[in-house]
Amino acid sequence: MKFSISRDALIKPLNLVAGVVERRQTLPILANVQLVLDGQQLSLTGTDLEVELIGRVDLAEEGQASEPGEITVPAKKLVDICKALPEGSVIDVSQDEQRLIIKSGRSRFQLSTLPASDFPSVEQGHGGQRFSLKQGDLKRLIDRTSFAMAQQDVRYYLNGMLFEVNPGLLRVVATDGHRLAMASFNGDINVSNSAQVILPRKGVIELGRLLINENDDAELFVGSNHIRVVTRDFTFTSKLIDGKFPDYERVLPRGSTKTVLGSRAELKQAFARTAILSNEKYRGIRLLLSSGNLQIVANNPEQEEAEEIVAVDYEGDSLEIGFNVSYLLDVMSAINGETVKFSLSDANSSALVEESESSDSQYVVMPMRL
Amino acid sequence: MVSVLNTRKIIHCDCDCFYASVEMRDDPRLRGRPIAIGGKASRRGVIATCNYEARAYGVHSAMPTATALQRCPQLILVPPNMDKYRHVAAQIREIFSRYSELIEPLSLDEAYLDVSESRHFQGSASRIAEAIRQAVAREVGITISAGVAPNKFLAKIASDWQKPDGLTVIRPDQVDDFVRALPVTKIHGVGKVMATKLTALGIENCEQLQGWSELALVERFGRFGRQLYGYARGVDSRPVKAERQRKSLSVERTFAEDLSPGEAADAALAQLIDELQRRLRPHAEQAIAGAFVKLKSREFKVTTIELRQEGKLDPACLPLLMIQAWARLHSPVRLIGVGVRFAAPVEQQQLSLF
Repeated sequence: MKFSISRDALIKPLNLVAGVVERRQTLPILANVQLVLDGQQLSLTGTDLEVELIGRVDLAEEGQASEPGEITVPAKKLVDICKALPEGSVIDVSQDEQRLIIKSGRSRFQLSTLPASDFPSVEQGHGGQRFSLKQGDLKRLIDRTSFAMAQQDVRYYLNGMLFEVNPGLLRVVATDGHRLAMASFNGDINVSNSAQVILPRKGVIELGRLLINENDDAELFVGSNHIRVVTRDFTFTSKLIDGKFPDYERVLPRGSTKTVLGSRAELKQAFARTAILSNEKYRGIRLLLSSGNLQIVANNPEQEEAEEIVAVDYEGDSLEIGFNVSYLLDVMSAINGETVKFSLSDANSSALVEESESSDSQYVVMPMRL
Repeated sequence: MVSVLNTRKIIHCDCDCFYASVEMRDDPRLRGRPIAIGGKASRRGVIATCNYEARAYGVHSAMPTATALQRCPQLILVPPNMDKYRHVAAQIREIFSRYSELIEPLSLDEAYLDVSESRHFQGSASRIAEAIRQAVAREVGITISAGVAPNKFLAKIASDWQKPDGLTVIRPDQVDDFVRALPVTKIHGVGKVMATKLTALGIENCEQLQGWSELALVERFGRFGRQLYGYARGVDSRPVKAERQRKSLSVERTFAEDLSPGEAADAALAQLIDELQRRLRPHAEQAIAGAFVKLKSREFKVTTIELRQEGKLDPACLPLLMIQAWARLHSPVRLIGVGVRFAAPVEQQQLSLF
């Protein structure tokens, strides 16, 4: 293997790929990134056996390919070397038996290698659904919901995001059991059947980072064991979580009796301020709703108290209801738009939060007993 | 109006002059005569409870015994027997527990019961209240008054409405009329000072109070204004809380002779601290947020100094607090008290979606 490439063209895909590589691996080769030079195309692959990411660079544009080949080298060291080289420099890469030689200007590095034939690849599934959409549309779905995924929950199926594919509709749902976020894309989803799969948390976060060219297409393959997203620059593959996601339709509040409209910015700021004096562990705040008024109160074990009053558009019975303020803030940050809409029933029933103008996203938050 | 579905059924039970009733039950000679439970006048005692015969003479609880005896020279003074009262209170609580699990005791002789979910008597709160009253009379031998209403605020007023030995029911459809005619002085939390302020605004009953906006009341009375706004409409959403956590615990002693700073006061304080620590033992799991010393001067001027505590009581701070409190009074004291304030209990519970 022999090629040269500009530092800046290498660093972008290398960073993405190295992001998948776990710090602590079970197999030494999982610490490595695989380099494959085939014709003018250089592919870089990182994997943790659950998520695999292949980045691609066209050397016809960004460098020069001299001799095809494939090899693996320690990912973190390669990233650190490239980052440490000056911007605009050109890197020459060549293989010398068991070593990979990296030269740039007066710098020279010899990296240990492991054979590419030992590098594990995530198996390809068969069948499944296949469709494409704009990267920006897919990214919006992830950005609007990923915060609600569970983290290391024993209910392993919550540690990820539900992707539900229907003809004309792609919907994603994330929940940790206390709150739920759901976003839908209505458009040209050209599939014949419906499918529900759960993408693991790490895959969701990596995928979110990859989707940077909003107007470019992303092609999705949704199989029974894997999901694959292919763009011009990368191929992302992730195993799926084998489990049954909760029936989200069942927990969407219906027949709420109280509808409150308020300024999103004002409420977000008021929540953020009251949060300062909420219980650090439980994060509970009290909302006291009355006609035209939302009072927000937080207390902590030190007997300190925060109180905010926000004018809201509401007519009806008063209600006192407690929430984890972090959950409310997460929603306020995930959505945009001037006005936010809360639909409530009573102190023990879930609240539905959404943008009042467009609502391609819905958020359900369970209250706290305070 | 409140929808039928959300209507709660709250009973407030309040024994009639509890300590006095217990003493009259056990000693028939006391019946029909003015009696009071409290400390001796010579020891500067105060009245804890008195019966209705004594009340006719203007005797009331918290009154110095000496004053009570001036108003009613034939008053029979009975020393308190707290162990007996606690035993009787436990019997009464057992009767409550037959009808509801949601009981919030306010003191030995007073409690709220939420019977909204009760199946007894086809869910009739009035009949439950009457059954409780009869059971207390039959099994314990004292009378208890009860109020039945859709919330705590009204239930408490109702229990007082036909005291002693009375039952008053405020049905949801009667709330509006009842509240309109209600003098503001009947609102729990409206004392002399508050009543004067309200009168100055031309507010004597809740109908007049209803004419004031929430904002206007909050501006004048702070947080209590918000409660007032609800109370004036018969609205009170406070739940009946089964486990009432103590907010503070204190011990105090009134001395036969005034004390000045010095050894006797130090010794008295040391005793009080011992007593406080003994009584704190069962509350070991509750975090302590503050420790305080209270002094009452010869002129009945009270001063309290509190110091923040980090979870545990540091008894060494109390003598220093006493010195500071004394510096404020410049006078011998008749009473010394020490106590702690507990941190707000952590009872935040996140509910689940599924």
